[in-house]
Amino acid sequence: MTKEQNQERHPEDEKNLLEWTVFFISLLLIMGILGYLVYQASVFEEGSPDLQVNFVHDPSSHSPYRYLLKIENDGQETAEEVQIEMVLERGGEELEAAALTLPYVPKQSAREGWVVLSKSPLEADSLYVRVVSYKRP
Amino acid sequence: MVNLLHDTQQLKEAPKFCMLANHNKPIQESIAEYAQGIIGGLLFSFPLLYTMEIWYAGFLAQPYQLAVMMVATFLLLLGYNRFAGMHPGTSWKNVVIDSFEEMGIGLVMSFCILLMLNRIQIGENSLDEIMGKVITEAMFVSIGVSIGTAQLGDSAKEEDGGEDKEPSEAEKRGHARRSGKIALVVLALCGSVVVAGSVAPTEEVLLIATEAKPIHILAIAVLSILLSLVVCYFSDFKGIDRSDHRPTLYEIVFETCLTYCTALLSCAFVIWYFFGFADTGIWNIIAQCITLGLIASLGASAGRLLIK
Repeated sequence: MTKEQNQERHPEDEKNLLEWTVFFISLLLIMGILGYLVYQASVFEEGSPDLQVNFVHDPSSHSPYRYLLKIENDGQETAEEVQIEMVLERGGEELEAAALTLPYVPKQSAREGWVVLSKSPLEADSLYVRVVSYKRP
Repeated sequence: MVNLLHDTQQLKEAPKFCMLANHNKPIQESIAEYAQGIIGGLLFSFPLLYTMEIWYAGFLAQPYQLAVMMVATFLLLLGYNRFAGMHPGTSWKNVVIDSFEEMGIGLVMSFCILLMLNRIQIGENSLDEIMGKVITEAMFVSIGVSIGTAQLGDSAKEEDGGEDKEPSEAEKRGHARRSGKIALVVLALCGSVVVAGSVAPTEEVLLIATEAKPIHILAIAVLSILLSLVVCYFSDFKGIDRSDHRPTLYEIVFETCLTYCTALLSCAFVIWYFFGFADTGIWNIIAQCITLGLIASLGASAGRLLIK
């Protein structure tokens, strides 16, 4: 031990078992996260958002024509200001349209939301949902 | 006879044994320090844990940005623990250990609080999204943990009459180190990051900078410098004794410039992290840095003295 190190020894600085445990757990956690980030950064590829929407009929007592939408972003980038539209058509003519707006759909993640129609889908011959627009953050 | 010899041997060894036992800090003291750190972490970072722009920044940041943020925060923790940590005479080894502990505590705290606030949903959010949010928040929490450990710990020690104790040689050197220029820059960085960090990710900074005319930006810059000047030299702060030393004009100008430049540097870093510089004009980048610089310079000068 050098002279300087010896002088800098301080009784309060001696670590006990608890502190060593916290230190090693922290070290493992930080190194693990940094390792993961370095790996992610090395395999990262530029890309754009790629959204997919699925829906199921999910009626409630006050909204019999309510639909649950699940929006998944399989792309390599987050989509911002996502606008989704659900359209009810009969004979090629639009009967009703309902919209859902989401602030963000992060990459490789999913978001859920509901749209509520006032007309019964039985009156129409087709019901579809589509992503209208989104932007790069 | 044998027993007597044995007892004598034990007596001789006893002081040595006690000394060894005293080397280790009591567990209760460690728990108290962690508690102080956790309280400090929450105190400084709760506004950020409740800010949605930070959650968004978590999943908008690229992996390399998160890694850079972690490394930068770790360096800041090293600097803070070295120049303003709980024990002035501590060694580099302990500074590194403490910094790892604080960042680890920050990560765990940030994860638990975001989970409690339902900002992360395990199984629904992707690993990238969870990690982005946790890491971004944890960096501010860990700086708070570091400040909390040092500040709340110091006051507790002073109350115990710790000041009566003669400082050791290492402590004296530690105190001398703390009045140097590097200490000034490191503490100014910590102060500006903590104070400006809660405003940096908001859209308001972007809006002010975009809509401001050059005259507004100039006024903000002048006010920032004036504030740094006022805070550093015309205010009475705890622990600053100016009775026997009047600062020269050179010292005033140098320290004010150093504080303001440090504040601008930290602004540039946090703006790059939260908004990025791609597709942004140089004038807009400068305007954003100066807009945020008003708060950061106050943090750098006032925060530097408060967290000392």
